[in-house]
This record gives sequence, structure tokens and C-alpha cells, in this order.
Amino acid sequence: MGEANFVKTICGYCGTGCGLVLEVKDNRIMKIRGDKDAPVNKGQTCVKGAFAYEYVHSKNRLINPLIRKAGQLVETTWDEAYQFIADKLSGIRDTWGANAISMFACARTTNESNYITQKFMRTVIGSNNIDGCNRT
Amino acid sequence: MLLMGSNTTEAHPIIANRIKKAIKNGLKVIVIDPRKIDMVKFAHRHLQINVGTDIALINAFLRVIIKENLYNEEFIKQFTIDFESLKKHVDLYTPEYAASITGLDAEDIVTTAREYAGSNGSMIAYTLGITEHHCGVNNVFDIANLALLTGNIGKQGTGIMPLRGQNNVQGAGDMGCLPNQLAGAMSLVNDGYRERYEKEWNVTLNPNVGDTQTRTFDRLENGELKALYIIGENPLLADVHMNHTKELMKKLDLLIVQDIFLTETAKMADVVLPACSWGEVDGTYTNTDRRIQRVRKAVEPGIYVKEDWVILCELSTIMGYPMNYSNSEEIWNEVRKLAWEMYGGISYERLEKEYSIHYPCPTEDHPGTFVMHERFHNQETIAKKSPFVPVDFTPPLELPDQEFPFTLTTGRRYESYNTHSQTRYYAAGVKVKQTEETVDIHPDDAQALGITDGEMVQVRSRRGELKVKAKITEQVVPGLVFMSFHWSETPTNVLTLNEYDPISGTAEYKACAVAISKV
Repeated sequence: MGEANFVKTICGYCGTGCGLVLEVKDNRIMKIRGDKDAPVNKGQTCVKGAFAYEYVHSKNRLINPLIRKAGQLVETTWDEAYQFIADKLSGIRDTWGANAISMFACARTTNESNYITQKFMRTVIGSNNIDGCNRT
Repeated sequence: MLLMGSNTTEAHPIIANRIKKAIKNGLKVIVIDPRKIDMVKFAHRHLQINVGTDIALINAFLRVIIKENLYNEEFIKQFTIDFESLKKHVDLYTPEYAASITGLDAEDIVTTAREYAGSNGSMIAYTLGITEHHCGVNNVFDIANLALLTGNIGKQGTGIMPLRGQNNVQGAGDMGCLPNQLAGAMSLVNDGYRERYEKEWNVTLNPNVGDTQTRTFDRLENGELKALYIIGENPLLADVHMNHTKELMKKLDLLIVQDIFLTETAKMADVVLPACSWGEVDGTYTNTDRRIQRVRKAVEPGIYVKEDWVILCELSTIMGYPMNYSNSEEIWNEVRKLAWEMYGGISYERLEKEYSIHYPCPTEDHPGTFVMHERFHNQETIAKKSPFVPVDFTPPLELPDQEFPFTLTTGRRYESYNTHSQTRYYAAGVKVKQTEETVDIHPDDAQALGITDGEMVQVRSRRGELKVKAKITEQVVPGLVFMSFHWSETPTNVLTLNEYDPISGTAEYKACAVAISKV
């Protein structure tokens, strides 16, 4: 059994932006408490922020890329998944134009991943068909 | 504070705590909501408004404030235009007329208008109860009219605060994940901004504004859209009129889903890519009041699970546009360079020390911007004045009738989050109160239908039907029922209406007509 360590981060649920302290041991989140130094919540948490974290370690997490073969989603390698997507997206772009491709970005992921998402769409695909659940 | 269409205690519990604390220190909160939500207990007054009648109410507020000369004349002269047209427009909305639409007392409307205008600083906070209507944008315009009329903007304790529902929904839009905006909220149709990005990215950018999600589904319907790449969203369960959404998705040549679980949407995909979740990634989020804060990796992901940006960079490189970054900080520094007006001064190093910084923050010695629009209260001349945008009340698009006599309004519940793919997994020993969906119905209606608490009932709309347990509660008024969309076992969005705000593309989740019967 390893030693517990503590990681400061921001809650991943609503938009309030509460600071949390994660107690981590053997690559598992053991416990979460509110960060007293956090300007937004000053140590408080709600039930989701403090307790709804087991999904990170769920057995139902996706652990491999999946590809549809003969109607079924089956496990595949990253190489095959990437090549399949690259060929299909390029083919669609060349036949129908960039406007035939759209992307829905993610309101849960980091600023950095979102920046790369729109950069991918605008540079590689050449389309501005990118949106999220920003409109609600 | 006017708290409009926000069930704060359940959807933003920590913000609710802070509001309650402020109430103890003298803040008067007026809750404007069709349901008797928990915040009503702490409120100075509850305006239990009919669903979707916000504009009738706000226009009446505007009229009272104008008629009684409670507006900020100096502010209006200096910073706004089109006051006369607003004045003319709202004249129709007498308190009595608004009362007949909203179901409120005319006197309460007048008193609330006086209190909002007469306090020494009033704020409006709202959530999806304002935006998830066919007139969502008009609702927001009218809120802005109210703030401008009284000068309640640009200083501490005033302003308009949309409470955002997702940890980084603000950031996703700010980073350019919108069809009309580059990172830093820079307009795509502005040649200068586009040029700035073209130079850094070494490409020629498409100058045409792209499709919103709503428009994407329209173009899918008429066969113009062939491929859709979805990251961390579950539109099948989250979007209105689910049966229709499913049929549309089947028309795609290529559906790529990048997620942490095999969601209902992922099950339809041609390729599914396993992404890192919260707790496994490094970077920043932007919260509801524009704070940039650091997110840190706590645990290692599975061997074949990758961060969103890593996946996109690798795919991009294979497709002939190499993108290489060694960490999230490098990406952030590119954002800081390109959108320096907003983020130039917000380095990871500063975030380590200062915890959070509000953008705009252009330089390293800038403290960040805690209050926006302070220009309204400085004596400097304003280049661009703010227009009043008068709007009219339009009733919900599907009103109850004989066949479908109830209005269904939808929302969230305390312990669950959106399509529930994450909140299914609570830590051991946590007792969750609500473990399945219910249709919340008033005791009078339940009695008339002969329904008892916990009884399984059928809920039917013109688009679909489902079975769900009834929860008898006075949180709703007679004629109104409430459901959330958290549980895939009870897909509430088979019932909802596929009508959208013409400007934002947001769907009318908050009102459709349903019938309820015993099973």
C-alpha cells in the first residue's frame, strides 16, 4: 500500500468552480474535501462534488478504442481507429466538402482541450461547424 | 436580487449557500419561478409565475419603473440608445395585463419593480429557466433592458449573472468552440482577428460562420451532413424529441464519439475513442464568473486512455496537419499569445500563487477583472452605446389543451448530473435520496386523477410516451408537472418539443403539453 497524497483541483460538475482537495492512494481517489483556500467555496462542498467521484474508477469506463465491424462495436487499436477516421473524414471532405462535417465540443473538458478541438476543426477540416451545449 | 428560473439549491448548491449567507446580512431575494423551489423559504417574496411568461412580467417592471420615474436618467442619456422605443413598446404592459398573463398579483409586480429600481444596487441571477424557451434570447434581452434602465450594471452588487451549469461551459465557448467565434471570444467574421490566427496556425481560415447544433440536426435531416464528431456529450438523451434525434443520427456516414463511458450516443457510433476523465487531466477551467482556475491530475488513466487534446493532436498529425504539444501549459501559452487581451497575464505560474484570476487580464501585472463593464461608471466617453432591445411576450409554443391538459417543465435534481453517466457512481456509504425519475405533480391534480404517491403512471405527449412513478408535491402548481432527464431508464426527452429559439438554437425544454393517466 502506498502513501496517501493530496491533490488540489477544481470540481468537474457545475459552473461554480469549487476548489477541492483529493486524497489519493494507490492510484485511487479515496476521499474529497472542500479546499479552505478556495476563493469560491472556502472549504464547502455539495453532495456531487464531495461524493460523486467513483465514476473515475468505474469498471464500465471505456478502456480501448472501439470500431464497428459487421454491425457490432469491437475493440481495436488506436492506429486502426485513427486511420479509419482519417480516411473517412478526408473522403467525406473531398467528396462533399468541409461543410458536410460537424463537431460537438465538450463543456466538461479543459480550456486547453477545447482550444485544440476548435483548432482541429478549423485547420484540419476547414469548417466552422463547431458548437457545444453553450446555448442553454 | 431577482433570482429567475434558477433552482439554485439543487443545481448550484454552493452559490445557494452564499446567497443564503448574504440574505442573513440583509440581501433581499425575490424568487421568480413557476415552482415552489427551496430558495423560496429564504426569499423576501416568491413570484410564482406561469411557465414561459417572463417577458410579460419584465415588460411590466419596465413600465412601472418608467411611469414612476424610477429609472436612471443620467445613465440612460450617457450610455444607452433607443430609450424612446422601449418606452413606447412596454406601454401596453400594465401591471393588470401582465398579471393576467403571468398569474401573479398586479400589486406584487408593482412592488417588485419599485424594489428592484429603488435599492442601492440590484442584481439579476438566472439559469436555464430563462434560456430554455423558444424566446430564450428575448428573455435575456429583456433582463438586460431592466439592468440598463436602472443602471444596475458595472459595479459590485449589481449586474446580470447567468449561472452556468457545467464546469467549463464558459471556457468551451471562450476557447472558440462556437460556430462564429475564435478563442478569446473574437469574432470569426472580423478579418483582423482571423488574420491573427491564420498567421499563428499557418492556414487560410474559412471565413463563413458555421452551424449551431440545432442547424447541424436540420442539415442532417436534409442529407447535407455526413460526419459528426462528438466529444463528451450525450445528445441522444439530452436533446429534445429523442425519437427524432435517434432517427437523424442513423443517417450519418460517420459518427465518432469520444467519451469516458459507452453512452447512449456512443452506442450508435462507428468509432468510439476512450478519453481521460476529470481527475486524470491537467489544465484550466473557466467558472461561471470568469475565473480561470487550475485543474490537476490526481490519478493515472488506463493504458489506452488518452486526453482529449492528445487524441486530436495525433489525429491531426495523421491527417497532414502536425500538432505537437508536450503539455497543457504549452497549449495555454498559445491561447495567451493569440487572445492576449483576455488571457495574456494569466500564466500557470500566477495561478499556482493566486488560485484564480478573472479574465480579461491582458498583462502579467494586471490584477484581473473582478467586475465587468465598469466603464459605465467611469467618466470616460463610451465609443459604443448600449441599445435597449424591446421585445414582446409570446406564449409557449405548445399550450395545454383537452387532450394534453398538463404543462411539463423539465430541469435537474440535486444529486444527479445531466444524463447521469457520472453520478451513477457515488462513493460507498452515501445514501442517495432520489434513485429514479418521478413526475412531480400537485396533490389536487393527483387526487383528480386518482393517483397515489409512488404509483406508476403514463406520461404522453404528441411525440412520445413513457411510464414513471408519480411524486405528489406542492412544489408544482395545479396544471404543471416537473421531470428531470437524468435517467436513461426514463428518457424524459421523448416527450419534449423540438421547437427552438431562432437566434440561439436553444430548445424549449421548459414547456410542452402532456397527458397523464393511470397505468
